[in-house]
Amino acid sequence: MSTTTSSTLPRRARVPIFIVLCLVGLSIAYPIIYLAFTAFRTRADYLANPFGIPSELTLSNFVTVWNNYGLGRAILNSVIVVGFGLVIQLLVAGLAGFALAKYPVPGAKYISATLVSVMLIPAQVLIIPIYLLLSRIGLVGSLPGLILVYVATGLPFAIFFLTVTYRALDTSVLEAARVDGAGFWRTFLNVASPMAIPGLATLLVLQFIAMWNELLFAYILLPNDQLRLLTPALAQIGGRFTNDQPFVAVGLILTALPPLVLLSFAAKYVMSGLGASLGR
Amino acid sequence: MTAPAVASLAAPASAGAAGGRPPKLAPWRRRERMIGLAAVAPAIVLVIGFMIYPVCYAVWISFNKTNGLNFDFIGLGNYTKLLADPLLHKVFLTNIIFLISVPLVIVAALVCSVLLYERIRGWKLFRVLFFVPNVLSTAVIGLMFKSLFSYRGPVNAAIVAAGGTPIDFFSSAGTSIAVIIVALVWSGFGYQTLILLSGLSSINPEIFEAATVDGAGWWKRLWYITLPNIRGVVALVSILNVLYTFTALFGFIFVMTAGGPGYDTTTLDYLIYTLAFSSSRLGEGSALAVMVFLLIGGLTLIQLRFFRATEDD
Repeated sequence: MSTTTSSTLPRRARVPIFIVLCLVGLSIAYPIIYLAFTAFRTRADYLANPFGIPSELTLSNFVTVWNNYGLGRAILNSVIVVGFGLVIQLLVAGLAGFALAKYPVPGAKYISATLVSVMLIPAQVLIIPIYLLLSRIGLVGSLPGLILVYVATGLPFAIFFLTVTYRALDTSVLEAARVDGAGFWRTFLNVASPMAIPGLATLLVLQFIAMWNELLFAYILLPNDQLRLLTPALAQIGGRFTNDQPFVAVGLILTALPPLVLLSFAAKYVMSGLGASLGR
Repeated sequence: MTAPAVASLAAPASAGAAGGRPPKLAPWRRRERMIGLAAVAPAIVLVIGFMIYPVCYAVWISFNKTNGLNFDFIGLGNYTKLLADPLLHKVFLTNIIFLISVPLVIVAALVCSVLLYERIRGWKLFRVLFFVPNVLSTAVIGLMFKSLFSYRGPVNAAIVAAGGTPIDFFSSAGTSIAVIIVALVWSGFGYQTLILLSGLSSINPEIFEAATVDGAGWWKRLWYITLPNIRGVVALVSILNVLYTFTALFGFIFVMTAGGPGYDTTTLDYLIYTLAFSSSRLGEGSALAVMVFLLIGGLTLIQLRFFRATEDD
């Protein structure tokens, strides 16, 4: 497997390929590394030579941004929304996916087909009606409103993904549990879900990234500064303080860090979820 | 999984007492169906409440002149007004210009996937590295490129160091669009590389071996075997990217140019936002959203039909 074609390539030909791949890799890594350095530089040092190697590194940008631009508050808000959103979504999608995979749900075919077609609806179509509906019931400018929107808009993909995951489980194990007297909840929580952990973890990582990075709903549905999430807060820092590049860089690094850390530790899960999310 | 859908026609409460066994369900079977339905119910309620109903509501809003408080039914008024508006024509044209990014992404992804397929030392690491932009928010990527291309940023520093004069990239339409396209390609090609790579991996390696035995060199194999075999995947990736340029530019535009200078970098999805939330013309915003949705739906149908056709080959 690992030598499908490279065995037919002479060693000499592999060197230029390696060099091209390195150059592409560098073009991906360089902007990120550059900004990571910028975040630790003083503004004077940056303006003197933005391209060069920093003469000294400082944490003062982080302190300023944290104190003056409410980034701590924004991170807390993001963590609350994403945390509750993920838990609720995983529970609701897990129940639905498990039932669709292993129970004779009436109209299962139509439910699955509807979920797949609903995935095509772009956020731009939803934002105006959802804004009006939520403002009518007083949920614009409150975290629970946004959490509900994130849970619901992520559900079609999550259910689709988990139906496939649960369907792959061995039915005889579930039958055995049922014969032993385990009801729906026991089978779902104690038997099926532990077996589905790789799939659940993959989904968790993908949905974390999606919710953490979301901009449109977070910006429109939480208009007050007190409840800003991190990504829209960053977008605003960028708009207001463009000539303070080190400050912008701090915001960028803080926003980008969680998904990057997740990717480096869970690359296997992220990559395997990729094939499934192709349909999106 | 298909049986219950048929059986559900005979489901109503009558199943309890009298004979006729075959169409009726055993009590435990009925119980299973109820449990299944109860487990799916919360999800159905949420999807209907926050996706299906809002889409219908969006269509209704688009038939009204409204600021969100007062609704004034005007039928297709918003649609005719928008379609006659030169601004919409300009914005649509801008979207078309952004399609330049599609061939660029495809070429970059093709080169990378063909090279990765050689499974050179460290190819798995490269694969993850190329995927990095996909886990970042468009807001992060947009701001990053805005920083890199700002007047006093590193790109201009490099231009000055090479003896040129610094360029104010975001002051004119052409250069702004160019920078956004660079950001689009940078952020998009990694994912497409992986899709193409999975397409390559499904080619039977024996074909390559046979060709090698027959004396076909690397370029010949690339041209006559590899590329023809992933034609379908390339088409899929192209359409995905076209859809992407109609729905996913908002984040980039929002943080990089805010649609400016003037309306020069405003795209359809950004215009929806501007109409609805900057000028409170929610009816027109909804009408535009519905039209974009129809456009995307149409493109997706073409894509599906196209794939059914290529699969028949």
